[in-house]
Amino acid sequence: MSRVHVTCTINGDPAEFLCDGGQTLLDALRDEVGLTGAKEGCGTGDCGACSIVMDGRLLCSCLVLAPEADGRNISTVEGMATGDDLHPLQQCFLEGAALQCGVCTPGFLVAAKALLDRNPDPTETEIRYGLAGNLCRCTGYDKIVRAVQAAAETINES
Amino acid sequence: MTVTESKPSYKYVGTRPVRHDGLEKVTGRARFAADLNMSGQLHGIVVRSPHAHARIVSIDTSDAEAMDGVKAVITGDDFPAVDPSHRQYDMCINVIARDKVLYEGHAVAAVAASTRDQAQAAAAAVKVEYEVLPAVLTIDQAMAPGAPLLHAHMMTAGANPPAEEPSNISNVTRFSGGELDAGFAEADLVIEREFTTQPVHQGYIEPHACVADTGQDGHTTIWCSSQGHFNVRSSTATLLGWENSRIRVIPAEIGGGFGGKTTIYLEPLAVALSAKAGRPVKMVMTRDEVFRATGPAPGTKLRIKLGVKSDGDLVAGDAYLIYTNGAYAGPGGLLGAMTVFESYKIPNFEIEALDVVINTARSAAYRAPAAPLTAYAMETMLDEIAEELGIDPIDFRIQNAVTEGDPSTMGFPFARIGFVECLEAVRDHPNYKAPLGPNQGRGVAAGYWFNIGESSSATVNLNEDGTATVVTGSPDIGGSRASMALMAAEELGIDVYDIRPVVGDTEAVGFTDVTEGSRATFATGMAVVEACRRMVVELRGRAAKMMGVDVDDIDWMDGQAVYTGSDGEKAPLSVAEITAKAKRTGGPLTATGSLEAHGAGPGFAVHLCDLEVDPETGVVRVVRYTASQDAGTAIHPSYVEGQIQGGVAQGVGWALNEEYIYDSDGVMENPSFLDYRVPVASDLPMIDAIIVEVPNPAHPYGVRGVGETGIVPPIPAVANAIYDATGCRIRDLPMSPIRVLDAITSNGGSNGS
Amino acid sequence: MAVRVHLSSNLRGPTGGVAEVEADGSTVGALIDDLDRRYPGLGDALRAGVSVVIDGLLIAHPEYEPLADGAQVYFVPQTAGG
Ligand code: FES
Ligand code: FES
Repeated sequence: MSRVHVTCTINGDPAEFLCDGGQTLLDALRDEVGLTGAKEGCGTGDCGACSIVMDGRLLCSCLVLAPEADGRNISTVEGMATGDDLHPLQQCFLEGAALQCGVCTPGFLVAAKALLDRNPDPTETEIRYGLAGNLCRCTGYDKIVRAVQAAAETINES
Repeated sequence: MTVTESKPSYKYVGTRPVRHDGLEKVTGRARFAADLNMSGQLHGIVVRSPHAHARIVSIDTSDAEAMDGVKAVITGDDFPAVDPSHRQYDMCINVIARDKVLYEGHAVAAVAASTRDQAQAAAAAVKVEYEVLPAVLTIDQAMAPGAPLLHAHMMTAGANPPAEEPSNISNVTRFSGGELDAGFAEADLVIEREFTTQPVHQGYIEPHACVADTGQDGHTTIWCSSQGHFNVRSSTATLLGWENSRIRVIPAEIGGGFGGKTTIYLEPLAVALSAKAGRPVKMVMTRDEVFRATGPAPGTKLRIKLGVKSDGDLVAGDAYLIYTNGAYAGPGGLLGAMTVFESYKIPNFEIEALDVVINTARSAAYRAPAAPLTAYAMETMLDEIAEELGIDPIDFRIQNAVTEGDPSTMGFPFARIGFVECLEAVRDHPNYKAPLGPNQGRGVAAGYWFNIGESSSATVNLNEDGTATVVTGSPDIGGSRASMALMAAEELGIDVYDIRPVVGDTEAVGFTDVTEGSRATFATGMAVVEACRRMVVELRGRAAKMMGVDVDDIDWMDGQAVYTGSDGEKAPLSVAEITAKAKRTGGPLTATGSLEAHGAGPGFAVHLCDLEVDPETGVVRVVRYTASQDAGTAIHPSYVEGQIQGGVAQGVGWALNEEYIYDSDGVMENPSFLDYRVPVASDLPMIDAIIVEVPNPAHPYGVRGVGETGIVPPIPAVANAIYDATGCRIRDLPMSPIRVLDAITSNGGSNGS
Repeated sequence: MAVRVHLSSNLRGPTGGVAEVEADGSTVGALIDDLDRRYPGLGDALRAGVSVVIDGLLIAHPEYEPLADGAQVYFVPQTAGG
């Protein structure tokens, strides 16, 4: 089977890769591009561990075909920090112990950033519904929600 | 969130530093097993049984072997035969079936090919001929006279008189104390209730994954996600008939386990494929495979009878517990028997517990195995009794709670425990008296778990600049690296951020048992403390040399060697000053600690759940939750709270939604997170975690394991709250909307029995 | 070394249901040997996955654990965990 050539922007940089027509964007990011921050928890759009942002929209990359990424602008967890400055969400997750095993963390960070980009001052309920597509089996969500609240405050103060 | 402040006597223990492995985990750089790729690697896929119970007549791999890209195909025949009397027989025939498959999803063969697609196509081309056997899918079917046998030679262990015929009952456990009949005769109130529960999955977000690279020299390296890489090594060696020394296991980061990664599934298959192909082989389960072929916690049928005097003293308890451990013998019933009456003073009791095999996936441990279910039964019955007697439910529990010196079910007297303190913490919390809205109810429940010790090893290496590396053999599932660093910082007097906690592979650190039984911070922490104390002895000796004084005149204080002799003043020496001269005083500074940890302190927890029931739909929404737990001493309070909060979320899911659903042939019908619904953020409120600290006398810092106990009380706390809101007692799990609605409509919401 | 032995109820078959017995031994292993002499069959039961509690300490693999004169030894089933 001949492979598809995809040209796109990933975390601000031009990128290109070859993929199979039926390959998911998640697999292409992990196996072809080498960005393994997005995880596969289910492969069916139910856990959010594979969350990425494509052209401003939060998506489960396990539900996107890799060739669809052609010409698009993709952000993953690897692009959240700027140089040696962590994004406030990353900082607040660390300080608030909002991760235990950490496998859901990349997905939560990407989804939370998409949430705050859309709604810079969400209520607790808005955070909980905004992150309802992401599963965490370790934390009970308490510290994740608090970390997002703290990050929103930090961002709004600066 | 209530916070227990750090102990005044400790500088580091009890503080909340950012975890050392945190940065990697928030930047996506942490390497979980599925993130690893080796050059030249193949992809392995498992061929699984579509039948719940069948004899394997033949397996033809020739078509598969001839396909593009296929480099190896293996079946049970590629592994040495294993005798049924072998201690790990069940594990061996579970990893790959030999003559029979015992559940849908049971592995029968595996294929390695250049790409995943090729491997998948080849797996589909493996021809397995089955003789389908009648499947046994419920406890009743398994125990019915003439039931089809899963294991032709299974004789009930523990039966008295000894079993003469094989059956599907693997084990019976009996405990008793006092005089049961006399106890019930004394009682003013006797109630008897029955409960049923379904298997549930641990639901870790990371599916099982590994890479194995077997060289032509017959040695292999495995990278994998597990709760214990030494166990992966020994179990893989057992299956392959190899020596342990031929296998090196390097732990990847682990994306949740909760007990489900205390056993193995893929690793021996990957090693065998890799050996055959001469290339590294990567295997990653799909979520569907995780549900069908790994770890459910047991389903149960429970019947309990309790007798109580009108003054509130429990006087008699009779329990008949049946656990299904899936297709193999398991410890569910034994652990149920050991936990059911353990938290309360019940002078007269009898417990009989059965373990039954059925044609579903082999059970694996799940956080405080068996205990959440016995708690469901016991704690909802205590709630009924308290109401009947007109006693506050917490006061009733305090009146009957075990305290230091009271005998356990097994007879031994409890050491210092914090059950009453946990009850009081919840009773005194504002949540206990907060007003409730319409259709809302409040439930309280307690939980107990033993915790375990087992073997751990640690090595402390001081670096040339006075910083330190602490290597242990315990995979870090929920922040244990930070706990190890905190204890080492406290012992050595080195800043916690100057200590690098590392999880060493099987060739880099001494043997360490699986991270289970809430043992990592307890037992591995003890090994770290032991290693540090040896290091301090060494440091004092080096300092004595440098000062030219007797070592007995050197004390270790605040990270410095301090001269306490009478021969004038001498400047204290810091760790950095001593390590800088290490070459001249005897060489590198390294110390190890290895031990079998005794005295794991039992953990108690008490939960308070406020919820709202929609009378139209039966949907239950938890609106407020408070949980206390005795941690002994919280080394890193944030991660203790996290364990409590995570246990609550899992317990609430177990109570309200989670269950395995099978069709009449034993095929799982809900093997996805869409149909097997675990709680999401919008299902839960904040969870107020109260850390109670009643130090464990057996641990240098008083630690009790905290990983498991938190999942024990939620099910009965939710059930009691549903009763408070609706007047309905629901005695079957899950308490799904349909069941709640049924209960409300059939009871008219008016009575609970 | 006279020791007071307490058997959890599932281990009392060989003693005819008796919960507490006296036996001798300077270690738990020696104690089990002595118990087996006094109550044939008890040794096997105690060697198969049994822990002890001594002075409030749960010890999972106690064979060589030393015993003091007058010690109270509780034999209990071994536990597991998640
Ligand atoms: S892996 Fe994409 S949603 Fe789970
Ligand atoms: S931290 Fe483990 S799944 Fe979220």
